[in-house]
Amino acid sequence: MAKFYWTLGVVAVIGIGAVGYQVASHKLGHAATAPVDLTGLDDPTALMRAAQAVTKGDPNAPVTIMEFGDYECPACGVFTLTVQPQIERTYVTTGKARFVFYDFPLVSIHATSFIAARAARCASDQDRFWQYHDELYRKQSSWVPQPNPINTFIGYAKDLGMDDSAFGACLNSEKYADVVTANLRLAQQLGLSGTPTIMVGLDKGMPRRLGDDFSYKAVAALVDQVLAEAAAQDSAEAGGS
Amino acid sequence: MSEAPASPPANRMAIAVMALVGFFIAFYLLAHSLGWTGSLLCGVGNCERVQQSPYSRIGPIPVAGLGVVGYVILLVVSFMGLRPAGRDSRALGVLLFSGGLVGFAFSLYLTYLEAAVIHAWCQWCVMSAIIMTLIFLASLPEVRRIRGA
Repeated sequence: MAKFYWTLGVVAVIGIGAVGYQVASHKLGHAATAPVDLTGLDDPTALMRAAQAVTKGDPNAPVTIMEFGDYECPACGVFTLTVQPQIERTYVTTGKARFVFYDFPLVSIHATSFIAARAARCASDQDRFWQYHDELYRKQSSWVPQPNPINTFIGYAKDLGMDDSAFGACLNSEKYADVVTANLRLAQQLGLSGTPTIMVGLDKGMPRRLGDDFSYKAVAALVDQVLAEAAAQDSAEAGGS
Repeated sequence: MSEAPASPPANRMAIAVMALVGFFIAFYLLAHSLGWTGSLLCGVGNCERVQQSPYSRIGPIPVAGLGVVGYVILLVVSFMGLRPAGRDSRALGVLLFSGGLVGFAFSLYLTYLEAAVIHAWCQWCVMSAIIMTLIFLASLPEVRRIRGA
């Protein structure tokens, strides 16, 4: 019997040590899950510099289609998965417009939207931002109910063929917390209150904001209108010179 | 003349040790599903994919939680069966054998899900399935005790 108790004791010590270490080391990790303090962003120029969008398409395209999105927002998911592909086919791949995404995590109502935005940014380290971005929206119903989806996010990275340990190291840090915070502050500075917010504009001047209709038809109508105005402006300038 | 006390059943000692190992594995998976740990240590397979699949929960209950409960029951019952008063208990024999059988059948089902439905392996789940199989094998002598042989 003594041998039996010794064996049990050894198993218990190893088990408690190994599982305890895993739990304790995780508690000591410091994944940024909320906006961080950034100084100097009251100056609009500094804020514009700190905010960084992710862009798809020709950087010299005449029109810019901007989305301010939140990964927990169901309407953003519908927009990304159904409307955005049509926009890309018609305007982005044809060089008429570029698509630009800014994070706008509504942290007061969506507890994990900030870390989700960071996760997509971490994916950009491995040139997989857009794939990861789409994956987050596709699997919204699976990770949104989780109080701590970090491991799920790492799983998605692995599923997408990314280096999951590098991705996990990025996610379990404060990396990109400043960028996501700056994007959030930019949206607030612009007076935006909901997601998705779609804006369409030219290089100069204030972009036009789409109303609450996020359908392809509504976006296309606005983009066509801005394109027509740009063409009219160009011909006026050409006539005047 | 007094009889020498019968030695504790070796199969129950084996079940107790294996149930304790299984408990720690299941607890690790449960801690992970509750967000208490970082990503799973996973040298082989894709543990995260298995753990994030819809089959890792039955309703709101994580499957790993069922594992924790199952292993604790097996541990407690095997301990009770090691006490002199419990060594000849038919009821404890029934509990150990049926517990081993249910655990083994459930492990088989989970292994089938990994192989044929999720198409990914979780090394910790496989280890738990092996432990449950060994517990089931170790519980077979209980059939003799139940029959009163």
